[in-house]
Amino acid sequence: MTLLDISELTLDLPNGKRLLDGISLTVAEGETVGLVGESGSGKSLTARSVLGLLPSRATMGGSVQLLDQSVLDASRSELLSLRRTRASMIFQDPRAGINPMRTVGDHLTETMRLCEGRSAADAKAVAISLMEAVRLPRPEEHLKQYPHELSGGMLQRVMIAGALTSSPRLLICDEPTTALDVTTQAEIIGVLAEQRESRGMGMLFITHDLNLAAAICDRVYVMSAGRVEEQGDARQVFRNPQAAYTKRLVAATPTIVVARDTASAADAGTDAAGTSTSTATASAAIDGAAPASTEPMLSATGISKTYRRGKEPVRAVIDATIEIPRGGALGVVGESGSGKSTLARMIVGLEQADAGDIRIAGRERTSVPSSRVERLEHARSVQMVFQDPYLSLDPRITAGKAIEDALRLHRRLSTTDARSRVIELLEQVGLGDVHAQARPRTLSGGQRQRVAIARALAIEPDVLVMDEATSALDVSVQAQVLGVVEEIRRERGLTVLFISHDLAVVRRLCDETVVMKTGEIVERGRTIELLGNPQHAYTRLLIDSVPRPDWDLEAVAAEASELEDPVAQN
Amino acid sequence: MTTPTMAMKVLRAPRVRRSSTTFLVSAVFLGVVTLAAIFAPLVAPYPPNQVDLLNVQAGPSPAHWLGTDALGRDTLSRMIFGGRTALLAPLLVVVFSTTVGILLGLLAGWRGGWIDSVLGRIFDVIFAFPALLLAIMAVALFGKGLVAPIVAMSIAYAPFVARLTRSLIASERSRPYVAAYRVQGFGGAFIALRRVLPNVMPIVGAQSTLNFGYVLAELAALSFLGLGVQAPTADWGAMVNEAQAGLIGGYFLPALVPAIGIVLVVVAVNVIGEELSDRIGGEIPA
Repeated sequence: MTLLDISELTLDLPNGKRLLDGISLTVAEGETVGLVGESGSGKSLTARSVLGLLPSRATMGGSVQLLDQSVLDASRSELLSLRRTRASMIFQDPRAGINPMRTVGDHLTETMRLCEGRSAADAKAVAISLMEAVRLPRPEEHLKQYPHELSGGMLQRVMIAGALTSSPRLLICDEPTTALDVTTQAEIIGVLAEQRESRGMGMLFITHDLNLAAAICDRVYVMSAGRVEEQGDARQVFRNPQAAYTKRLVAATPTIVVARDTASAADAGTDAAGTSTSTATASAAIDGAAPASTEPMLSATGISKTYRRGKEPVRAVIDATIEIPRGGALGVVGESGSGKSTLARMIVGLEQADAGDIRIAGRERTSVPSSRVERLEHARSVQMVFQDPYLSLDPRITAGKAIEDALRLHRRLSTTDARSRVIELLEQVGLGDVHAQARPRTLSGGQRQRVAIARALAIEPDVLVMDEATSALDVSVQAQVLGVVEEIRRERGLTVLFISHDLAVVRRLCDETVVMKTGEIVERGRTIELLGNPQHAYTRLLIDSVPRPDWDLEAVAAEASELEDPVAQN
Repeated sequence: MTTPTMAMKVLRAPRVRRSSTTFLVSAVFLGVVTLAAIFAPLVAPYPPNQVDLLNVQAGPSPAHWLGTDALGRDTLSRMIFGGRTALLAPLLVVVFSTTVGILLGLLAGWRGGWIDSVLGRIFDVIFAFPALLLAIMAVALFGKGLVAPIVAMSIAYAPFVARLTRSLIASERSRPYVAAYRVQGFGGAFIALRRVLPNVMPIVGAQSTLNFGYVLAELAALSFLGLGVQAPTADWGAMVNEAQAGLIGGYFLPALVPAIGIVLVVVAVNVIGEELSDRIGGEIPA
């Protein structure tokens, strides 16, 4: 039975901008429908229209039919009853969607008491059973807790339980796991699938993550710029995309599974270019066969960092040792709180390591630089690209000026020389002189991150640290930025330390990878081997948590057997 | 990792801003008053202290649009000349307090630690004294006139600016773009003065604009008490003071006109200050 039927939905703003353009989609009972697309594609707006959560001055067209109720011409009271009984929604950031001053119990029982007139005891009993259903460990205790006492994953379970209090027929999930770690994501997805199964709900699942959509959805709609580009059976759409946009999106999505032919093609390409010997050096280093004739570009030996805030000291990094050969790329993978960012901040000289030794190109770079000379030398050794390009550029300074400042700080250049070098750098990252005059506000996320990369390259550092540098970007933009980084590595032999929570991105860029967990490096090795044949239990958990469609599992098994390792997979 | 989606942006988009009429009226009014004060000798119909004993405490007439006071001086002319001290003194206070406040706030916010704590306590102490009381103390110590109150008020208002600057700088300091400057090798002084400070200046400027209104009212009160501008110099506060005696006799105009002048200017300045801080507030990235 069809729960939701959207047909020819349009949404126009008063300024004439059309945000949704003829969206048609259906969700049946017991079905999970994915709505995938990049930011600005209108997927969230489409989903919100189902509950009547629309921009106040927008003009709507078409129809949204939820069971027997038409949403677009529903009165306020009809909308209320629709939200109370038929459909619920889970949002991206659970912390933003819950009142921090009220307990979890208040949040869960409020609607039941006020809307359904249940008694407090009755509502509490229902809340506890729901919390058990979403696998919260101690329901009775959680009822009295405040949101700040729960982790993001637990809070998202509370939000799911809250959405289920009204026994909705349709559950709308708007990027419910985007703000969560990958292992937590796997748990939340498990809970959602279980509830859908047992309640026979329909589920409209919005995500930017193609792998996630492929793993859990029966059918998917691919959206771009307010239009549905393609729709159909999930397997069909992702394995054999028809629309050009879907093809691009699928191609841009990094995966931890690499088919044999593409991998060898990539290797051949690198070797043919003859500029990068990173792969060879990397494997030599791993084998331990090659003597240390060439010093590693970056070596951090036994570095530790402990924060002493509050009562309990937090050991952010514990005795970490990493080494990157000249021109190599090392990935550091871990979940939030694993200490990977602290490691990066110590290497670039933003934090002082408590113990250990950091050397870049043979020069001591352990301490935070203080004098002007030290600062400049440290900066020429290592540069950093930060996670969020919206925050890491000065809002008042134009792109060209930001790069020019960095250039002129380190080298004496005439104004005209500096200007032409700025244009050169911008062109190197795929931008042009038109972008030199632009303030960050007017640039897109991908463009900003390119400016940040150009600014780092202006100083011509020995090592470039990228701290989650693509995780705030859309997949297609991420692919472009990664492409830029790969090209620069090929051309300049730049040494890169790439920090990420995303195994697939690391897989694409890095020869070697280390896995961090609660401050410690638990596993290290060549990226392919590490992904194909993880030794540490945590690495296996990380890899297993990465969402992937079941048809990919066959490929993983194939790849693992190709490695011809005596240790059996799983 | 958490990218705001299009839907959120649309829902949060600010309303299309009509350029507010009250703001425009306020700006024009303040502009006219300022110009009149600057070009007072050209604009005013009479010299401010010209006595016309035949027309004492006269009502509005074609010769004296706003009437005359107990000495037969033209109220309109005195208003125009009085605007000079009434506007210049608060301007000086705002300039001094903003300069001092920004420097101290920058120091406290950027360096943090014990400097922040010490400065914070000093600000607390100054906050404990009403600005007017400080001004009166200054007059008691250094004699009547405008110089001592201006210095005292500057000290009294500096902590407002300093507090604001401190909190803005402290929050700005933890932003990634500051870390990015450090990684590039820029020194702390350069980042603080040349990069971070200009980013917070608009908000501090809006606050200082609001301060202007408060200072104007308080200095007028000081002159009204006879401690500020001294006779025979024309000043709005002093004019209200001089016209007190006439109030009992029913001649309210010489007191009412400067009082209304003070109220209108303060309201206009506040409207402009609020509007400025609203506009800037909308552009500050979260």
